Formats: sequence, structure tokens, C-alpha cells
Amino acid sequence: MTQIDAQKLGALAQTDRTGGATEGEAVFRVDDLSVSYSGNVALRGVSLDIFKNSVTAFIGPSGCGKSTFIRCFNRMNDLVPGAAVEGTVLYHGQNLYAGSVDPVEVRRRIGMVFQKPNPFPKSIYDNIAFGPRVLGLKDDLDGRVERALRSAALWDEIRDRLKDNALGLSGGQQQRLCIARALAVEPDVILMDEPASALDPISTTRIEDLMHELKDRYTIVIVTHNMQQAARVADRTAFFSVEVQDDGSRRNGILVEYDVTSKIFTNPSDQRTEDYVTGRFG
Amino acid sequence: MEMRISFHEELAQLEESLQVESQLVLRSIRGATECVVSQDVELADEVIAFDDEIDGSCTEVMQGVELLLARQTPVAGDLRLALSVLYSNLHLERMGDQCTTIAKLTKLAADLPPDQQLLDGFREMGERAEEMTRVAMLSLHNRDGALAESLMDLDELIDRANKRVVGRVLELGQTNLEWGIRMILVSRCFERIGDNAVDIGEQTSYLVTGDFREFTDASH
Repeated sequence: MTQIDAQKLGALAQTDRTGGATEGEAVFRVDDLSVSYSGNVALRGVSLDIFKNSVTAFIGPSGCGKSTFIRCFNRMNDLVPGAAVEGTVLYHGQNLYAGSVDPVEVRRRIGMVFQKPNPFPKSIYDNIAFGPRVLGLKDDLDGRVERALRSAALWDEIRDRLKDNALGLSGGQQQRLCIARALAVEPDVILMDEPASALDPISTTRIEDLMHELKDRYTIVIVTHNMQQAARVADRTAFFSVEVQDDGSRRNGILVEYDVTSKIFTNPSDQRTEDYVTGRFG
Repeated sequence: MEMRISFHEELAQLEESLQVESQLVLRSIRGATECVVSQDVELADEVIAFDDEIDGSCTEVMQGVELLLARQTPVAGDLRLALSVLYSNLHLERMGDQCTTIAKLTKLAADLPPDQQLLDGFREMGERAEEMTRVAMLSLHNRDGALAESLMDLDELIDRANKRVVGRVLELGQTNLEWGIRMILVSRCFERIGDNAVDIGEQTSYLVTGDFREFTDASH
């Protein structure tokens, strides 16, 4: 991989769109993606590939656009009034933003887990069964619910309480329930926007272990404020930063560096990444 | 905006402690050279006792790095610096041990007839060992990879001097045999101090480039 001098390239320096990958199938290919809200650019000119059966982490300071970026992968920004997405996101070679693409089908194949666990105020069973029912996947619903709960490492804890209200679960259990809910519709990709930031350390470890297990079957993309979490779970890490216009009037997110996680945390190529991960800038 | 100020101060303090420790080692090398060259048993005892100070400093730096790793989980350049300090610290401690061994051998050989030519050679080796230690620590302080690599040439000189010692001892014959055998070990200690200095140079190179590599392979 070539090393690029950030100073020479200016603010848009990126090491490598593949994040140091030499092989593997790209699930997403993002090209020159920019997102704006009511005309204000939140994220500018991002190009990178996300690889199958791996965990990719996005890190960066507040306002760097990492959450904005992850929401582009399942068209969640469509739901935000005034949001505009430019550039292309190819999902298995297909343009995710083409007019013919059904956003609901996109969100079935590309599930999402949010910062705060958000189970429905229903039974544990109904939380998991909801998605399959809506999609008409009614064969062997019990088996589907069990498989999803097992995959989310929750089955053994709640197998006798399936009819209990999901809101009675602990925070960590609720988050794993949300992961199980995402898995129940047999997605291809799971997006996680700070999935452990509201959880205690033990629950956090469970979620991180789960990511390790799930990546054999799914492709995982995670946004995290916790750099050590990225260091622990991610195969590749993308560092985003905030670019401030000369007159200070505009701030937008940019991708600074994308590489294998071990490189980012031992010897990053860009000084801005080094400054961020070592806490010299925040 | 600088974050984690106290952490970076701690790391800088550890590096400073390592530099101070190297000053102790330099004193020990000077003492060891002086005691063997002048066959000074009292000075040898002082060098042996002085090693406790180096060991104490080594332990403090090691505990400091341990705490830093446990509490601050340094990454990137900070991680490389913490590891460079940890490894260089061990190399310095080994240098101190070599000096102690020289002092002990001096005592064992004190009543035996010496050879002035070898003693002159040890003065030269001791000076080279000191110089290499200074260069190694300066390269670390200045993050100077080229200076660190210059240690290889300096090491070559001390290695050559070491190789000449066996030949000289064989020339000495029976009357100086026991003294000569002990001095072969002294020579080996000086040579090892040079190797430790090269090891510290390798830490400088790792710190600067992020890649760890041996300057020379074992067959050298």
C-alpha cells in the first residue's frame, strides 16, 4: 500500500479506499459521497469499500459525519427532511440510491442497531417475530425466533420468558434483543451506531464478542466513540475528521484515513489520525 | 486542543527517567573500565555496589510503563514510545550487569600478572562502549534513525577489538594464562555493552518508522 503525504494532498487525504485490503469481496463501494442537511454539507467526498464478513469501524470526533455516513448504507437519511445524498453507494454492484430500489427491501437486507436499545413495548417473542411477520416470512416462526435469539447470544437467558415484556430486560439484554430483531429477517449487513455506548462494561464485552461471532455470517459496520472498542473489534478502521472552512463559517466531515485497524492504532499514516487516536486533538 | 495532558506528561517523564538511568550506566561503564585497566579492587567494589542504583531505576521505569499501559492504553506513537522505553530500559539494565561482571573479574584477577597491551585495549573498548551508549540515547532522544544506524559502524570497531583479545592471550603463554582467560570474559562484556547499545538504536528506529527490524542478523 502506498503512503500518501497528507500535507501535500491537503484536507482530503485518504490512504487507500480498500482500507488495506488485498483481497475480499466488497459489499459496498462508496464513491465521492457527500451528504447535506438543508444545504449544509455534513460530509464531503468520501470514497471507500466495505468488505464482506468483516467488521469495519468508523471513528472520529463529534460532528465528523460518521453517523451520517453509516446511515447512508441503508438509506436512513431518506427519512430526514432536507437531507440530500450525492455520489454513489454500490451495494453488491447495485446503486442503492437508484429510483427502482425499494428502501424497505434495503433495510431488510441491511439492518441497523442504534445507540439506545429500542425494543417495541411488546413481548420478547413479538419483538423478534415482528419483522418476519411484516415480510410474510411466517413459516416456522418459532424456529426463526429461536435462531435469531441464539445468534444474538440471548436465548439461554430468556428462553423461559419469551412472553414477558421486552422492556423488562436489562439494557444489555435489550440491545442484544435489538440485534436479534435485526438478525430475524436474515440480513446481509448489520449497521451498528454506537451499539454499546449506553451499556455497562460487561454488556459491552458481550456485544463485542457477539460482533466477532457474527462477522462469519454477516458484514458488520460500526460507529463508535470508543476508540479502544474499534481497536478491539474492527478489522478495518476509518477515521473521519472535521474540516473547518477558512472563514470558520462552515464545518464538514471528511474521511482522513482508512486502513487495517492494527495499522491505525500502531502506526497511522496521517498525522491527524495520530493526533486523534493518541488524544492530542479531540 | 491538547487532550490527555497528564498522560503525555507521564510518558515524557518516563522517557526522562530512562535518560537519567543511562547516565548511571555511563558512570558504571567508566568505573568498570577504570577498575580493570588500573586493576583497582576498591573501585571494583564500588562498581558492583553501584549496580543496585541502576537496578532500582530500571524497576521504577518498568513499573511506570506497566501503570501507563494499564491505565492509559497508549496507541500509535505513544504506544511505540512506551514500548521503546520499556525495551531500552532492559538493555540499559543489562549494560549495568556487564559492568558488574567486569568488576568481579577484575577482583578475581587482581593478584595475577597483567599484560599492558590488553589493558590499553580495554581502555579503548570502554571508551567505545561509552560512546555507543551516548549515541544510542541521543538517537532515541532526538528520534534520529540515521544516528541510530551509525551504531552499526561503531559496533564493528568494538567487535574487532574483541576478536583480537583471544589471539593476544594465546601469545602471552603460561605465566599469564589464568589472567588472560578472565580477561577474555572482560572483553566479551565490553562487546556485549556495544550490542546492547545497538539494540537501543533498533528501538529508536522502531519508534521513528513503526517497523521493528534488527540492524544486523545473528550471523554477522
